[in-house]
Amino acid sequence: MIKFDKVCKAYKDKKVLQNVSFEIEDNSITTIIGESGCGKTTTLKMINRLIEPTSGKITINDKDIKRMNPISLRRSIGYVIQQTGLFPHMTIKENIELILKIKKVNSKKINARTEEMMEMVGLDADEFLNRYPSELSGGQQQRVGIARAFASDPEIILMDEPFSALDPVTRISLQDELMKLQEKFSKTIIFVTHDMDEAIKISDKIAIMDGGKLVQYDTPEMILKHPANDFVKNFVGKNRIWTSPNLIKVKDIMIDNPITCKEEFSIFYCLNKMKMSRVDSLMIIDENKKLKGILYASSLTNVDYENKCAKDFIENDFITAKPEDSIVSLLKVIDDNKIATLPVTDENGILKGLITRSSLITSLSQQFLEKEDK
Amino acid sequence: MEFLNYVQSNSSQILSLLVEHIELTVVAVALAIVIGIPIGILISYVKKLGKPILGLANVVQAIPSMALLGFTIPFLGIGTLPAIVMVILYSLLPIIKNTYTGIKNINEQTLEAATGIGLTKWQVLTKIQIPLALPVIMAGIRISAVSAVGLMTLAAFVGAGGLGYLVYAGIRSVNNAQILAGAIPACLLALFIDYIAGIVENLVTPKNERNTKKVSFFKKPIVQKIILFIVITSILGMFAVSFIKPESNEKQITIGSMDFTEQEILSHMIKQLIEAKTDIKVNQKLSLGSSTIVMGAIQENDIDLYVDYTGTIYGSVLKHEPNSNVQEVYDISKKEMKDKFNLYVLDDLNFNNTYTLAVKKETQSKYNLKTISDLSAVSNELIFSPTLTFMERNDCYIGLSKMYPINFKEVIPIDGAPRYTALMNDESQVIDAYSTDGLLEKYDLVVLEDDKSFFLPYHAIPVVNENIINNYPEIVTVLKELSSYLSDDVMRELNYKVDEERQNPDTVAHDFLVSNSLI
Repeated sequence: MIKFDKVCKAYKDKKVLQNVSFEIEDNSITTIIGESGCGKTTTLKMINRLIEPTSGKITINDKDIKRMNPISLRRSIGYVIQQTGLFPHMTIKENIELILKIKKVNSKKINARTEEMMEMVGLDADEFLNRYPSELSGGQQQRVGIARAFASDPEIILMDEPFSALDPVTRISLQDELMKLQEKFSKTIIFVTHDMDEAIKISDKIAIMDGGKLVQYDTPEMILKHPANDFVKNFVGKNRIWTSPNLIKVKDIMIDNPITCKEEFSIFYCLNKMKMSRVDSLMIIDENKKLKGILYASSLTNVDYENKCAKDFIENDFITAKPEDSIVSLLKVIDDNKIATLPVTDENGILKGLITRSSLITSLSQQFLEKEDK
Repeated sequence: MEFLNYVQSNSSQILSLLVEHIELTVVAVALAIVIGIPIGILISYVKKLGKPILGLANVVQAIPSMALLGFTIPFLGIGTLPAIVMVILYSLLPIIKNTYTGIKNINEQTLEAATGIGLTKWQVLTKIQIPLALPVIMAGIRISAVSAVGLMTLAAFVGAGGLGYLVYAGIRSVNNAQILAGAIPACLLALFIDYIAGIVENLVTPKNERNTKKVSFFKKPIVQKIILFIVITSILGMFAVSFIKPESNEKQITIGSMDFTEQEILSHMIKQLIEAKTDIKVNQKLSLGSSTIVMGAIQENDIDLYVDYTGTIYGSVLKHEPNSNVQEVYDISKKEMKDKFNLYVLDDLNFNNTYTLAVKKETQSKYNLKTISDLSAVSNELIFSPTLTFMERNDCYIGLSKMYPINFKEVIPIDGAPRYTALMNDESQVIDAYSTDGLLEKYDLVVLEDDKSFFLPYHAIPVVNENIINNYPEIVTVLKELSSYLSDDVMRELNYKVDEERQNPDTVAHDFLVSNSLI
């Protein structure tokens, strides 16, 4: 675990970082994001002591990094920057092997490791190892950069806008590649970017910075749904969430207080309630709010309902959604079953809310309509 | 044709001077690299030092090379040391500057990546900065090396030898073949060094920056490496041969000479005579430069003996007022040289190489000139081309124009033998000359009589240091014997043989000694 404790950095009078405190969890990808000059790169470079804090403390696994030898600290941390980070006068092989050689690992092991790394990042060893960086495309160079960072098998890997100079197609494929690697090797990756889409896509947690301060540190979902302040709201962008529909959950768009009644209530009462509430169905629940069935207005036409109660006309065979389901799977269920009303229950069958066609339309149309409030 | 003949008959001398030139240049450039690269690295780290050091190197570059060379003599004496120091000083700027620029221009991010992945400062320097800056550093070394070849020709002035010896000897005696025999190899050497440095530059440039398309045979890295290997081996071989030369314990002295024909002939004469009559080995340092430089050399014990002239010592060294009494000038010079400099003036060599003024025969008959007084009467119609020394000295032009009411139409100082050429081309009508100068005979000039006895007597006198007096007193006797065979006429004839007949000073001296049965 990497922990920042009230870290400040100032150059003369200019405060670059102010009281930054947060904890980076092991085996996860943490993204630091913000506009240029917000202190995100400064924060990153403090972890391998390229920049020393003016005050405050940074610990890795409870050890103050100030007390560690900076050279051995850096050798235990992978470091990837934009493609210029490769040494132009060294071949791909020399670039990847540099630190291993300095560490005096035996050459057989180095060769095996280098080939392994090339395979890991999807580059053909025979074809590329003896080439120079400038003979490779930007994407290939960046793969080499990643291979170099992984070569000495560090626990922590720092990545400073590694994909920002790449074209969108290459960038996306490298993001996918990185996520695959992370699944397999489960490193602690700290990733600096200014691209919110990238951050949302790859991160377990995002730290948003503004003017040297950490303004929000949370999961991508929480940041999208509950921006801490206007800056985050603006930075994230109004409709950002629609680009990641997986993050929109049933609970976000459901009607929280559906109209309900108990199964022993009379039909007359039920019809009256529907009329009053302008709905065409009622959720029938018991005293524990457990869903028993649905009473549709349509099933009450042309029937004699004198002295009958809700129980007699209840639809027991119904489909439900879970609050944590995403909007994508929800739409699929609605489409497959051609239904208009979908109750939301938890794992115990307790009614939590309701999705209707009209509530769905309202939610989906939000991305196209300007909101009045600020 | 004359050039080819010269080269053919002097090929071994040219070759040994070329080898000497290469050795001097290689040593100077190698030292400049060893000094310049660390300074360049230093100023790229310590920014405060950058400006003063680059500024200083720029200033050194701006000092005329002759002046710099002259300036080093009081501290370093004569010989290879001042020549090498001078070339080093000139070679430093491009090397320092290019090292500095090469290191400065490395992408910041590359350096940060290097630090970030855990290289120490030293590793960043040796594995990243120097390799990346190397092509630029090599370009600087290439500039230095090529200009060092040219500069090293000045080494001849301080007795360090090299191809410059032929160039300056040639200029003095108006021997174009000799000038070319020095200049052409120097030129080819510069081109060759440029080519070799270019190969090194190409080899240290990372492959990705090289043109990877078809390359001609001579540009293939493997071929270039072989060429380089051969060149380096042969240079090392040269040094090895020079160092293996046995350092003998036998008796030896070193004699020096100024930079004109008469001095060279005398030097060879004295060497051959001493070696024939005694068991002392004589080393020569020829063409050291003016009397001041040679005298500096004997005071530094770089040489043990040279021939000076009474007038020079009396007037320019001891700063006495002009005096035409021959005996008085000699006696005072002898006494004061001993008292002031601990140098011993031996017996007069029996010829007087004084200053005089000379004109073409046409000029003489046109104005009916016999004496300097005659000349001064018509001097406002004539152009005078003296040597620089002649212009500056009290006992020359300054005093002369006081003694005679002389007032030339124009005075254009030209050094050395080129003033004869100017005279023959009618660019001037009057020159100063030495009375024993062979060129007077060559160009068939008329010497004007010094009717007011203005010029000092310039009797040739051997000057020796304590080493000779204490260790080799036999030399004094040998020189005394020589003096009885010399005179103004003899000397002028010997000079003529070298300057006009293009004989070697060495041969002329030898023939003279043999014909007089001295050896």
